Amino acid sequence: MSGESTPESASREQTQVEIYRKVVTIRFAELRIRSHVEKEGFGGFWHPGIGQEGLQAGAIAAMRPDDYLYYAHRGLGYAYAKGMDLVELFSDLLGRATGSTRGKGGGTVHFADAEKHVLGQGGTLGSNFVMGAGTAVSSQLLGDDRVTVVFFGDGASGRGTWHEAALQASVWKLPVVWICENNGWALSARFEDQSPTEHVADRAPAYGMPGVIVDGQDAMAVLDATSEAVERARRGEGPTLIEAKTLRIRGHYEGDRQPYRADPVLGDEIPNDPVHRLGEGIPDEVRRTIDAEARQLVEEAFDAALAAPKADTSVIFEDVWA
Amino acid sequence: MSADVTVPSGRVIGYGRAINEALAEEMRRDDRVWMMGQDIGRMGGVFGVTRGLQDEFGSMRVRDTAINETFIVGGAAGAALAGTIPVVELQFADFLFTAADEIFHKLAKWRYMHGGQFTMPVVVRLPTGVVGGAGAEHSQSLETIAMHVPGLKVAVPASPADAKGLLKSAIRDPNPVLFFEHKGLYRVKGPVSDSPEDLVPFGVARVARQGTSMTVVATGLMVDRVLEAAEQLAPRGIELEVIDPRTLVPLDIDTVVGSVEKTHRLMIVHEASRTAGFGAEIAAQVQERAFFALDAPVWRVCGTDTPLPQDPDLEQACIPSTDEIVTAALALAAI
Repeated sequence: MSGESTPESASREQTQVEIYRKVVTIRFAELRIRSHVEKEGFGGFWHPGIGQEGLQAGAIAAMRPDDYLYYAHRGLGYAYAKGMDLVELFSDLLGRATGSTRGKGGGTVHFADAEKHVLGQGGTLGSNFVMGAGTAVSSQLLGDDRVTVVFFGDGASGRGTWHEAALQASVWKLPVVWICENNGWALSARFEDQSPTEHVADRAPAYGMPGVIVDGQDAMAVLDATSEAVERARRGEGPTLIEAKTLRIRGHYEGDRQPYRADPVLGDEIPNDPVHRLGEGIPDEVRRTIDAEARQLVEEAFDAALAAPKADTSVIFEDVWA
Repeated sequence: MSADVTVPSGRVIGYGRAINEALAEEMRRDDRVWMMGQDIGRMGGVFGVTRGLQDEFGSMRVRDTAINETFIVGGAAGAALAGTIPVVELQFADFLFTAADEIFHKLAKWRYMHGGQFTMPVVVRLPTGVVGGAGAEHSQSLETIAMHVPGLKVAVPASPADAKGLLKSAIRDPNPVLFFEHKGLYRVKGPVSDSPEDLVPFGVARVARQGTSMTVVATGLMVDRVLEAAEQLAPRGIELEVIDPRTLVPLDIDTVVGSVEKTHRLMIVHEASRTAGFGAEIAAQVQERAFFALDAPVWRVCGTDTPLPQDPDLEQACIPSTDEIVTAALALAAI
């Protein structure tokens, strides 16, 4: 390596900076929400995604803006990375009228943005397996060249819906990519107590699809793995299962003291922190600027959401029917 | 509010054939309409309702699935979010329970819980009711359960004309529709419109027979049995006014109330189990709206509160017969 940057490497560096900007913003958002939950007696259940931001933003960087996203319940990184507005996301969390769901689905795990192709999430884990495959049927029928990406946790991998969706998606070569964020825990249950195989990806060959394991703390590695899977799907070659190995830094929800866990990760030291990993190779000055801008963006967005009115009760009767 | 079905041509075809025509016409009309289910393509469906459709529209638009109800319904929900119009078949309405999360959560609530950003134009076709000893898990009438979860529309056609016209309305509706087709009616024939643009609207009951002695509300297979009972009762001076709501969600309660204000008596006949069936809901709504018009308690003639036995004779004993309807109507008229 001469150290000179080629157009390709320059582009990759630029991509890395763009992903870093997203990841840092998500990290500050996670920390801001945590501080709110701790200080304000938050009325919901926040499932923190801290420590998993790298894989979320890295994978979504492999998607086109018009590709479809179904996210998992841990954090808001996916929705932000796909282009959703932070004020809307925080407003959903806080039950404000300015939320994307106007107080009816927001809470902690439901956001949606039809224009950004963020298709929402169900309250029952694993329901997005079958919905994601179905979305991909529409793309196949319409020939619109779009790929559907479905995130899920290692806990949700136990649902029977996985089997039905994976089987049918593979038979029909549907343009869908499944990304398992394996953080080792399904609430109080350890992954090794729920799975007869060491990896979720081990299940892929049974469905005639590639199973790929990637370091989930390395956003660029996740980007590469996802890009390959997305392109494969776009070529009409069918689904891929990606398993991103990560860590659950906090409890099942913020405030969960994790009595079931002998070695909870406490404090702010995140092993193999994806923010630091991604920051390597980015000049200090650039990083400092991005960090400061991200912090300000998060603070302003959170303040705006806090200041927004609660949803009016009249919305209860809206949107039952189209 | 009531509307009679217009039958310009008077062409007589079977209820199953009418459904097949509705599917074909809507798929010709709109390329976004497609179908999936078990055995619906190559075989044409276990009841033969989708016969010939894969030949015309190909295996991309008429898809045979594995045995995977959660995918059939949940996949349809996901497909609807991305711009197509799925019409899916569960082989038996009873399989609602194998896809319950997808039906009662995803179809019914996705639009609402995401602030109205999405529409869910999905039709789930559900062969329902008792026919020939299909057993306890293949014979239930579950329309009331569908009615109880906000966000789902519920259609229960009783004639070939309604089967065709309501299904076409269902496919063009941006909301999820559970479409209960009675298995015992598939071979029953009746006049059906030729025009692809003749639709039967949701929420408009059909007055199947005019009468003055009492109002009888019935759906599906029970409509014909009530009409038979009415024929037997007429010579005895009892004239039943027979109302088929055609859709339970939305429910045309106005037509029922208007009829009760004329006849002053109400009986509801349904094949589903008696307890907490839709008859209870209609009874409650009528007493709220027209209590002083009633000269007698509201009566129900319903299926037994039991699972359905497999023996065809025992099975028939579990749902209202024409004789039971006649006996009940005589008793109610005497009050």
